[in-house]
Amino acid sequence: MSVIVQLVVSGALMGMVYALIAYGFQLTYSTSKSINFGQGELVMLSAFVSLSLINTGLPYWLVVPGGLLFGVLLGLFVERAAVRLALEQKGEGWILLTVIFGLLGFSAAENIWGRDDRPFPTPVPSDPMHFFGIGITPLEISVAIGVLAVMGMVELFKRKTLLGKAFEAVSADRDAAGLMGVSATRIIMLSYGLSGLVAAMAGILVAPITTVGPTMASALILKAFSVAVVAGLDSGFGVVVVGLFLGALESLASFYIGSGWREAPGLILLIMALALRPNGVFGKASIRKV
Amino acid sequence: MWKRLLLIRGAELFAFGMLVAIPVFVNNSYALGLLTLLAIYGILLIGLDVSVGYLGQVNLGHAAFLGLGAYASGLCVTLLGFGMPAALGVSLLVGLVIGALLALPALRLEGPQFALATLSFSALTVTTLNEWESLTGGAQGLQLDRPALLGVHLGAAGFYWLCMILLALVWMLMRNLLSSHWGRAFEALRDSPIATDAMGVGTYRFKVAAFAIGSALGSFAGGLYAFNFQYLQPHSFVYELMVILLLGVVLGGRKSLWGAVVGAALIVLLPNLLSNRMLFQVFSALGLLLAVVAGVRGMMNKSTRPFQAIAPIVAMGSLVVGGMLVANTEDWRKAIFALMLFSVVVGLPEGLMGFITRFLSQLFSVAPPPLPAPAALDEVLAARPMQDKPLLELRNLKRYFGGVKAVDDVSMAVHSGHIHGLIGPNGSGKSTAVNVISGLYAPTGGQVLLHGKALPEGSLYQVARVGIARTFQNLQLFGELSALDNVMVALKGVYRCPLPLLLLGFARREEKRAQAQSLALLELVGLAQQARSKAKDLTYGAQRFLEIARALACKPDLLILDEPAAGLAQPDVAQLIAIIKRIHQRGITIILIEHHMDVVSELCDRVTVLDGGKVIAEGSAEEVKRHPLVIQAYLGVEHTE
Repeated sequence: MSVIVQLVVSGALMGMVYALIAYGFQLTYSTSKSINFGQGELVMLSAFVSLSLINTGLPYWLVVPGGLLFGVLLGLFVERAAVRLALEQKGEGWILLTVIFGLLGFSAAENIWGRDDRPFPTPVPSDPMHFFGIGITPLEISVAIGVLAVMGMVELFKRKTLLGKAFEAVSADRDAAGLMGVSATRIIMLSYGLSGLVAAMAGILVAPITTVGPTMASALILKAFSVAVVAGLDSGFGVVVVGLFLGALESLASFYIGSGWREAPGLILLIMALALRPNGVFGKASIRKV
Repeated sequence: MWKRLLLIRGAELFAFGMLVAIPVFVNNSYALGLLTLLAIYGILLIGLDVSVGYLGQVNLGHAAFLGLGAYASGLCVTLLGFGMPAALGVSLLVGLVIGALLALPALRLEGPQFALATLSFSALTVTTLNEWESLTGGAQGLQLDRPALLGVHLGAAGFYWLCMILLALVWMLMRNLLSSHWGRAFEALRDSPIATDAMGVGTYRFKVAAFAIGSALGSFAGGLYAFNFQYLQPHSFVYELMVILLLGVVLGGRKSLWGAVVGAALIVLLPNLLSNRMLFQVFSALGLLLAVVAGVRGMMNKSTRPFQAIAPIVAMGSLVVGGMLVANTEDWRKAIFALMLFSVVVGLPEGLMGFITRFLSQLFSVAPPPLPAPAALDEVLAARPMQDKPLLELRNLKRYFGGVKAVDDVSMAVHSGHIHGLIGPNGSGKSTAVNVISGLYAPTGGQVLLHGKALPEGSLYQVARVGIARTFQNLQLFGELSALDNVMVALKGVYRCPLPLLLLGFARREEKRAQAQSLALLELVGLAQQARSKAKDLTYGAQRFLEIARALACKPDLLILDEPAAGLAQPDVAQLIAIIKRIHQRGITIILIEHHMDVVSELCDRVTVLDGGKVIAEGSAEEVKRHPLVIQAYLGVEHTE
């Protein structure tokens, strides 16, 4: 019994990271109905840059903002190079272009930092503490806190600032917001910047647990896709719930079926969700208009 | 006619003959290996082009189908001892069935969701191939021997010829399929799924069919792949291969058999390109040159945005510079693919073949095949007898959106052979009523009867099948198709040829008949001269008329025109009135939603007025115009304190 609880708890904490990456998809989807298929590489590259910053001897509290800044810049680059043109042409070319961006990022990381996985030092201790017979490491707790803090801050920004209101306006109706003098292009840029920030945060949080390597995010990103789609691409609350659930589920699957099958529950859930509820469990159904 | 046949078929035959003849003159096993791979990838990419080109969806699952087909054939040979034809048949079937099963959930999805579904499918496939070690051997791989073909053991050249023959066969079958009403339906789906449904074509059937056929070709190619390499590993079929395949289709040119095969040739040659430094530098320099030429040309005739011109130059430029700087180009393989694919997607969206075709068509002007004479209108729209009884009845029809009662307890009857006007101020529920009748929305309550029988609820497709056709207030044409093809997509009662015969090219006669009938309908709305123009290039008025012709192609009992005069200039309105009168003469019942009262007065036998989702008046046009409630609804009441 305690094995199951242990698996559920550590899996769910890992699920918080999926939720955070999925939240990054939602940010750009809400403004532009597009997502970055290379987001995993964004997570990975930010983690690598942060690692390089640590290796230069920078203190940890400076490394984090540095990594986040890099994530923002990369997000802006994706928007400019891979998304904007396709959106202007009202097409779906961005899918392919962001896939290409991911491949480029992957190749760059492979060649600049090498193919090996490297440890990521962290000031947070990783010896488990025991609550009711369940071991939780401070590292895992720091992940959960970090995820909630970032999401909370972005949500506060969206709700309490004028720029955030503009963000919401573009999400609700891009054309109407444009007519009211809100530049949709700027807001979409902003959403990609924020999405990059969120991805970088996810990279920094998860790196001490997974280690850093070119492939660190390829499994992560599939699960983040699953979380985003299962929750619905417009529900911030939903991603957390689904993230926790999926994290727990895959931790159980990998223990009872075999670690090679880790990814399977997420993928099956994703295909099922697309089949049964394409707008997600927490998403709003849209009415077809002609 | 002969010139056309000579140039187009001649080029195909010449290319095929050249490729087939090579092993006779060149005895080089390495070159033969590349040629065999070219033929296999040709089949694979023709399959991928169905979903990427014709359906217009980003399909990230094709590499997985290649893998499934390869393992299916491999296991049939190693475990069951099948011969080559049977094993290839199994591969084809596996792709067809799994493709259809995957398409069923992916069916309702567009764009990113479709890409995600296929991406997860391919990840799941690789996981399964890797983990099901007892069957597939897992990461160890699967070793097999090429089985005999009908008792003959094929050598390298023999197998190559087999692959070439199969490629030619696939080419011919797919050309027949894609130039038939199937191919048109695939493209129509891409432009407007709603209109495809509303024309009774059925997005469901065709999307599943298209995806299943494409996937079947993918796994068929997989079977050949297995017999070619005789060793399989799950990791050959991962994401990277998928990107290379997409590169092939996009670089070669979408929606083109030539494009698929040219793309296949390019991706077969890519690894050689990367291993030879000299070759790589020449190639990337050529790429840069192409980017500069295309960019400058695009900017000169202002057909492209600055980004489209500059970005490929930057990307190809970094390829040239990077090629000089890095020690080993093989290591940067993925980045090189990425930069090349980026340049093509942004700078040359129609692909190499699109580019070359445009160039060639300036050199040799080949007239399109002549169109048949229009059919007699009686053959297309048989005149119906006028009978004064209700055709369509609404009984207490309701449709609510949350708390909004868009249609609230509407009852009305439309008599056979009448033009029935449906008017009312904006927001009165006209469009919602029509959307419920035509099946876009299911009613919240009440009934719709056609010929006294209940209509299917909430399905555009099924309603269209029982004889109701409609136009759309906001145009829903298939923009990339010609005016003629728009009508031919919707045409009913002509396409009877069963699929196997159609694939073999036995549908030419009914194709001619369909053209003749569709031309008759275009003539009816005055567009016969523009039959070859793309729908999106027509004037606004012509687009409205084209929608009417397309709706008539469904040969409906009831035609619903949703604000056909909206936005039309006065001469066009006059033409619209003439068109509607001509349709009326064929005995087709019409519901006309319109704001132009002069149009309504001139045409309608009877008029129903809606306001706030309720019927406030009904009668002849003159009667309702004088009705106090109608005047109040349109002009408001004076407030007297």
